[in-house]
Amino acid sequence: MTLNPPDLITILAAGSVGLIAIGTIGLAVSRHLLRLVLALGLAEAGANLLLVLAGYRWDAVAPILTGAAPAGAMVDPIPQALVLTSIVIGVGVQALAVALMIRIKAAYGTLDIRELKVLLERDICAEAGIVPPSSIHRPNYQPPPGTALPARVASTGESA
Amino acid sequence: MNSLVLPVVLPLLAAFLVQPVRHVSSGLARWFGPAVLVLCAGLLTNIAMTSDANPVTANIGGFAPPLGIVFYADSLALLFALVVPLFALLLWPRASDDRVSALILLLVGSGTGLAISGDLFNLFVFYELLSIACIGLVASSHTPRAYAATLRYLLISGFGSVLALVGITLVYTQTGSLNLAHLSELAPVHLANPLGLAAFACLLIGFGVKAELFPVNAWVAEVYATAPKRVSALLAGVVSNLAILLLLRLLLLVFDQPEARQILLVLGLIGLASGELAAWRARDLPRMLAFSSIGQLGLLFIAMSIPGEMGLIAALAVALHHLLLKPALFLLAERWSGSLADLAGAGRRAPLAAGLFTLFALSLVGVPPLPGFWAKLVLLLGLAAQDSALAQTAIAGVLLITVVEAHYLFRLVGLLFTKTEHSSVPHRGGDLALASLFGVLLLASMPLLPALADGLAWMAGQVADVGAYRALTLGGAQ
Repeated sequence: MTLNPPDLITILAAGSVGLIAIGTIGLAVSRHLLRLVLALGLAEAGANLLLVLAGYRWDAVAPILTGAAPAGAMVDPIPQALVLTSIVIGVGVQALAVALMIRIKAAYGTLDIRELKVLLERDICAEAGIVPPSSIHRPNYQPPPGTALPARVASTGESA
Repeated sequence: MNSLVLPVVLPLLAAFLVQPVRHVSSGLARWFGPAVLVLCAGLLTNIAMTSDANPVTANIGGFAPPLGIVFYADSLALLFALVVPLFALLLWPRASDDRVSALILLLVGSGTGLAISGDLFNLFVFYELLSIACIGLVASSHTPRAYAATLRYLLISGFGSVLALVGITLVYTQTGSLNLAHLSELAPVHLANPLGLAAFACLLIGFGVKAELFPVNAWVAEVYATAPKRVSALLAGVVSNLAILLLLRLLLLVFDQPEARQILLVLGLIGLASGELAAWRARDLPRMLAFSSIGQLGLLFIAMSIPGEMGLIAALAVALHHLLLKPALFLLAERWSGSLADLAGAGRRAPLAAGLFTLFALSLVGVPPLPGFWAKLVLLLGLAAQDSALAQTAIAGVLLITVVEAHYLFRLVGLLFTKTEHSSVPHRGGDLALASLFGVLLLASMPLLPALADGLAWMAGQVADVGAYRALTLGGAQ
């Protein structure tokens, strides 16, 4: 079985849309932070692939000038330059995300996004001195003074 | 080439020089960042003075557009570009931390670039740079809750970037150009189709993350509640308005279609309603302000959906009002960050702060002599000028939500001035001087409203003149 070049490009385009879809679904349903970051990486890879395909031509050569004029057509260099930029940005953002994950794991001891949401809500409320919204029917309740948070939350881990 | 690139390049360069400068002299490092910001503000003012309010362009690297990247600064872009270093200067953190200084300089450089760049991908790069600076600043309070909030912000913002990238790809495949001026020529032929609309939706939601647009604003409350209040003030006031400016340019130059405006109107209305209702339910001041900020930006999106110069004037009025008010309110929240119930009687002990809060609340709701009233009036007149069922629904929605807004703000004002024997508010040193400055500015703009209105109308006319933008950008600048 042989593939014609246009077929290949269609397959690649479908693949990139698929990657974006997988990444988006992953972002929506995953609970573990590492999975979420990986899902974001997948979606980014899909978007990058789509961008490369925007300027890709099967019968053209790489857009590199070597002095002599190229024999045939060249691939559009602009999307390739854009993709390089976007890959670099993506790597930077993922590194930042992992660095934050390390801090979160050290402070809260969990990387589950739903648990973290509850912990975050509780911490914000504790800082403001109000009870979390689960007990909304008793808005005037004041937590007794000196209520400490559990030890693993109170200790920030290494402080920067 | 002219000095237009310097306000972008200098802060970016300075951001990486803060640490080395510290090794030379710590006193120098302390003043290094603010000095660079003053220089940038001076340069931008100089450009504004010398250009006689005519738009200025600069081709980066001497490559002519549409292939090369172009910076384009009309009066609106210059205004926003000037706002970035000025607000960063006003909200400069008191504690000297090299990393925070570097991040703020990064924010200023990328924010200025975002205001004046005329190339879609260049805008994307500046936007990403701005995101990373914001993420670093939010995490700079070094508390576990700030880290958790920051990571959620990062994930949403990353998803927004992917969508924006897809939108850029769609635009590029349809037109083969990323220069905004060139796109404005090509758009009526190549982007007035469902694919073009899909591209707009992707770009809107992608860039809308910073502008607290409805489906991608889950980060707002937790980030503003956990970040240092000065960072919240910067994010809510300046960064969101920069994203709005970017979207406004895209809407005007590239996606000037009725369907695009309808999407804006619907999302804005949902944002307004959900934000203000959540603010009504909030029980601490930072999150109340965060939700009300979502509501204000929803109002801004509604203003943007009004076609023609009327819509532009309304959008500018709401944006500038928001720019002035939100940072000031967050500065007051620095003082009163506890629960709302604890604030009972706080106004009696700090009359100036409470007076300022009352002033801002009145303007936010839109009580007549204050500028907020005028902003809302222009918006409602613009909506009323259209005869579509959606616009009329929007009028009803805006008026109804204003009642909600008035209720929760006046409830808090009332609470501030109640008589209590015991006052449990911890006395924190908020920044009253700065908040007063914003208050004075707000009051000073009141007698100047007619002049301001003329200025805004003139500015809107200049921004809406797509032909001039195209001629100046593509017609060979210096």
